[in-house]
Amino acid sequence: MLLRKSVVPLNSDATGRFLPWLVAVMVYLAALALVSAMAMSKIVTRWDHGLSGQITVQLPVSENDLTEAEITNRREDVLTLLRQSPGVLSANHIGREETAALLEPWLGQTSGLSELPLPDLIAVEIDQLDPPSTAGLTARLIEIVPGATIDDHQRWLGNLLNLARSIEIVAALVVLLVGLSAVIMVVFVTRMGLAVHYQIVELLHLIGAQDGYIAREFQTHSLKLGFFGGLVGVALAALTIFGITRLLGQADTALLPALSLRPFEWVILGALPFASALVAMVTARLTVLRTLSRIP
Amino acid sequence: MVRFQDVSLRYGAGPEILDRVSLDLAPGSFHFVIGASGAGKSSLLKMMYLANRPTSGRISLFGRDVSSLSRHDAALLRRRIGVVFQDFRLLDHLSTLDNVALPLKVSGQRSDEIRKDVVELLTWVGLADHLDAKPATLSGGQQQRVAIARAVVSRPSLLLADEPTGNVDNRIAERLLYLFEELNKRGTTIVVATHNEALISRFNYPVIRLVRGEVRLEHAETLIRTSDMPGRAAADYGTRDTSLPVEGNPESAG
Repeated sequence: MLLRKSVVPLNSDATGRFLPWLVAVMVYLAALALVSAMAMSKIVTRWDHGLSGQITVQLPVSENDLTEAEITNRREDVLTLLRQSPGVLSANHIGREETAALLEPWLGQTSGLSELPLPDLIAVEIDQLDPPSTAGLTARLIEIVPGATIDDHQRWLGNLLNLARSIEIVAALVVLLVGLSAVIMVVFVTRMGLAVHYQIVELLHLIGAQDGYIAREFQTHSLKLGFFGGLVGVALAALTIFGITRLLGQADTALLPALSLRPFEWVILGALPFASALVAMVTARLTVLRTLSRIP
Repeated sequence: MVRFQDVSLRYGAGPEILDRVSLDLAPGSFHFVIGASGAGKSSLLKMMYLANRPTSGRISLFGRDVSSLSRHDAALLRRRIGVVFQDFRLLDHLSTLDNVALPLKVSGQRSDEIRKDVVELLTWVGLADHLDAKPATLSGGQQQRVAIARAVVSRPSLLLADEPTGNVDNRIAERLLYLFEELNKRGTTIVVATHNEALISRFNYPVIRLVRGEVRLEHAETLIRTSDMPGRAAADYGTRDTSLPVEGNPESAG
């Protein structure tokens, strides 16, 4: 078979040998940045869904040494008020044991919790389509229990959303920078290849090769290197994600949710080698065409 | 076929290599280009095979003004021009077969269609036993024949040879010119640049002499003949040996 070999022997170039490994590192970083962004987005979505339909009413610890019966009465008054308020779907008292359990992640399991002056908490489920006015509800609650407050979680959730958006932006910037670095590397390697094999390129040009024919020699080579590097990078990233998932599983904490990717997110990661191959191929082609345009 | 009209060439801010050169080479003609080293022979040929563009003036090839050619059309035009480079420019990593097949491959012909033509041509130049040999394993003369085979494999209308006799002895050089003559008889327009005036004096073809960037048209027979290379009449060409030595011994290889 004639000309099974490449006309331009790019495989023998020392300059091209390190390209797949650099691409692998780039794709590895890009994959981790993407996974971080996807995980953060998922956490925020879960918390957002979990908290948007809920508010918490907090009745302060009485400073007037109320009896247990008086405390129960004022709580029942508050529950009645809440249940009668428009936009409130349900209102339930969070018992002392449940309140103490909420503090366990911070304070640990200790018998001293029962002796702490914990506030009365009431979980209120609200209609998200027709939510009650938090300010109006608070004013009416204060008439029954001075110092009563409502936490609609919005301030906390807002900060969290800002954090998540920031992480997503940083991840996008990392992916962009990684892509840009990959482009610069491919341009450099392609130019080196053109310089090393200039005699062959010029010969091809002089015997009538179209620019596209010569560019194909380089772009095919870059495509292979980019794809191989991408595969290695994604494989390393998958191993890292697997390791982090195992560690999070062992940590067994409610604060750090399990890092699991949905099918389409795995598809995005799986597409990275193709993306790196495409970037390498297009970059090499444009670099060669640009260089050839200077040859008369 | 090839028309230069007031063509000048200079490299960068350097002196004029060619100064308002005008020439007109008819289809099927055979011309020598001679001149001292640095006279501009290679530059003239480079403009003919579109490796250089003139600083001023107009060049027409095959009736087309090359300055108005798109890159695509220029590539198509180059396929009608065969070039034998002074340094052969063979690709070391490719076999003889692949080197010769390159112009056909570049023009988009299929491998199975190419092979028959290439093998036939390599047999004609005496390299049938070296189809898979790499250029580094061939002698200088054999490499030159590979370069010639590559230049003519696509049956070009115009064949340009830059100092093809520079690396071989006189006997091989003479046979080489007979080979070009055979190609010329088949209709190929030939332009051979050489500094070997003694050799070309044996051929009855017009000569483009380059002197300080200007051209002068002469005739080969008017050139000085050396005693060790007696000239031949054009009528004798039919009995000449146009075969080139198959084995590359140091003498024949040059």
